[in-house]
Amino acid sequence: MKKTILIALLTLPATALPATAQVKYEDIVKGAGDNWLTYAGNFQGWRYSQLNQITIQNAPDIVAKWTYHVPEANALRSSPIVYNGVMYVTDSNAMYAIDARNGRLIWQYSDGRAKRKGVNRGAAILGESVYFTTTDNYLVALDRQTGSLLFNRQFADVEKGVTSTSAPLVVKDRILVGSAGGDTGMRGFIAALSPVTGDEIWRTYTVPARGEPGSETWSDLHEWGGAGTWLSGTFDPESNTLFWTTGNPWPDYAGKPREGIDLYTCSVLALDLETGKLKWYFQFTPHDVHDWDAQSWPVLLEIPWQGARRKVLVHANRNGFFYILDRQTGKFLKATKLIDNITWASGIDDNGKPVIIPGKDPTPEGNWVCPSVKGATNWMGQSYNPGTGLLYILTQEECGMFTLSSQKPVPMKNFAGGAATEPGGAVILRAIDPRTGNRVWQYPVGNYSRMWTGTVSTASGVLFSGDDDGHLIALEARTGRHLWHYNVGDTLTASPVIYAVDGKEYVAVAAGTNVFSFGLFEPAVSIPLPKIMMQK
Amino acid sequence: MRSIALLILPLMLCAQHDQAPAPGQNPAIKNPAAIAAGAQLYITSCGGCHGPDGIGGRGPNLVRQLQSHQLKDDELFGAIRNGVAGTDMPPTRLSDDDTWKLTAYLRAVTGPAADSKVYGDPGAGEKLYWSPKAGCSECHAILGKGSRMGPDLSNIGGSRPLANIRAAITPPKNDPSRNAALAGKEGVTVTMKNGTVLKGIARNRGNYSLQLVDEKGALHLISMAGVKSLAVLDHSLMPEDYDTRFTPDELTNLLAYLARQTVRQTPAGGK
Repeated sequence: MKKTILIALLTLPATALPATAQVKYEDIVKGAGDNWLTYAGNFQGWRYSQLNQITIQNAPDIVAKWTYHVPEANALRSSPIVYNGVMYVTDSNAMYAIDARNGRLIWQYSDGRAKRKGVNRGAAILGESVYFTTTDNYLVALDRQTGSLLFNRQFADVEKGVTSTSAPLVVKDRILVGSAGGDTGMRGFIAALSPVTGDEIWRTYTVPARGEPGSETWSDLHEWGGAGTWLSGTFDPESNTLFWTTGNPWPDYAGKPREGIDLYTCSVLALDLETGKLKWYFQFTPHDVHDWDAQSWPVLLEIPWQGARRKVLVHANRNGFFYILDRQTGKFLKATKLIDNITWASGIDDNGKPVIIPGKDPTPEGNWVCPSVKGATNWMGQSYNPGTGLLYILTQEECGMFTLSSQKPVPMKNFAGGAATEPGGAVILRAIDPRTGNRVWQYPVGNYSRMWTGTVSTASGVLFSGDDDGHLIALEARTGRHLWHYNVGDTLTASPVIYAVDGKEYVAVAAGTNVFSFGLFEPAVSIPLPKIMMQK
Repeated sequence: MRSIALLILPLMLCAQHDQAPAPGQNPAIKNPAAIAAGAQLYITSCGGCHGPDGIGGRGPNLVRQLQSHQLKDDELFGAIRNGVAGTDMPPTRLSDDDTWKLTAYLRAVTGPAADSKVYGDPGAGEKLYWSPKAGCSECHAILGKGSRMGPDLSNIGGSRPLANIRAAITPPKNDPSRNAALAGKEGVTVTMKNGTVLKGIARNRGNYSLQLVDEKGALHLISMAGVKSLAVLDHSLMPEDYDTRFTPDELTNLLAYLARQTVRQTPAGGK
């Protein structure tokens, strides 16, 4: 036996590779079904699954199917990718491939020599490879079946304040990666890399260099101006356009050293996929001093607007407002209040600019402002269900104290220009009509503002999210009626995904230190112990 | 020949780690001269029980022990100085200075091979690695080249101490524990109830499921409910004759090449 196996194995050609299905761009375009192939489920950012086995009628029968404990994890931020029954979950400088039917580890890749620890929000998949980024800005490509390393290429210098936290976005023949670190000084960018070699195809900085258009909107410091791109963007296949949001200017709370509107911070950028060229931009919060990154991904929709169909981009912003933009031109169409308590602006004017209420900047003594630094919503993002026509957004009615430091800004020294508190407040899951921005229903999910879980919904009208107490919850997507809940025993720190294997639908979520997967109850079937012959 | 190879290992690991010690760290740590001196002290004071390269003998395998027990430098120093209560590990009578040199040496032995100054010719080792004589690539891949059935070696130097890599190629004979790490990751032949037969290496094997990479590098997710019988190899698929297949120089060269396989830059002067 031994010799037979040995000979059989050792005579294999070294390049033998399985002739199995490969993940193609067209598969990702189709959106989430059995497989969940991109961070937000589809290119439009819907976090919507076409599966319909779990329904509003049988959702009370959902039970825990398995748990995978991620070694040394701390507040997992990963939104899993699932393909052909394998789930890919990331953590700081590590990826785990898990059998999505039972939670058994298949392989793990860990880069113990990465220069720092940090959060990671997920993987990407294309062809035979899965991808993620390390905290020190390496794009790592692994064989999706065996975990073998294919390449490891650094795309940014950690010594310049840049780190990487977001899931790469695979579009056609390029991998889009972002940049984080905007709270301590860095220059943000979005880069397109080759999925075969990791070579850079283009890079677009989110803060203009001195002398470039837009640099006049900074008085100083724009070499370190921030505008991080720390969440995956969305993509419109029809116009070949990427939509990417940007983070806060640096120093976060000190506006004086960077007078002006600080382009392109707290904005959404429309970029040509081929070249990275900026098609248009829209800035939500000019000259932000409250760390209100425009981070949650832009959702792409087509809605009736003034008697015609209109291609729009909608965005629930950390600054408290919900925006509807024309996605072909960036033209502002409408904004509504996402939350009730907004004290820094009385509204958004006809040009999309906030109507500022004076005296709400951070002060040395402290200034109480709503929303808090965590914002009206955050990177838990938005989801959209085409069946109900509703958007689902985790919102927070939290205010906080913003203080200003008089110290001189020094990049990469953990200097934010001040400080801000997050004392807690109501967390409310809100369903919004994207045609009007009006609320349709709301469901309270806590008072601590600790959780970071977004939403996902299905073709059968079930909405999954989480609450501040550590419950994964299922609601009727149309009405917000409670269907089911489960206590995972930890703070929810990432968004759920939906997938199916062997014809069975699952909902999975990474929370705290574990990944949990749930499905409909089935009686256990006795499995006889396997007949094992030990071979010498 | 094998004993020669064993004896030269401490010397191979001598002058290494030219990075500066962290603030507050004893100056001996990562100091090449101290590590070299520690290597000599190790042979006379420790090798008798722990084996000439730390992989065990009468005493425990230090490479494995120090990887699983994350001792701080001063705790390791204390164990060398005071011995380990309840075991045969006696106190030493070495000076503070020498004890720190030994501590520095043990740190170096248990660190990634990529951080070590390794003797041997990595170019010659590379040729050997990809040759039919060694046959490494028939099971292992480096950066996508080679069979993906066995463990990937792209980062072997960045993740494993040199002694571990060496022990994987030429394991100590008659070590009853040498196959223990294989549990659940053996070579297997699965016969399914529908008659299908699959051969490969288990990535994870339990009572209820088997995650298997076959000879072609394809992954199979198998429920035991569908398995008729399972043949499991009780030992590694690694060839067992590398100690006679290779000359000592060839083994040294191969180790030099494998130590270079890292996903991170080699520290300046490290090679």
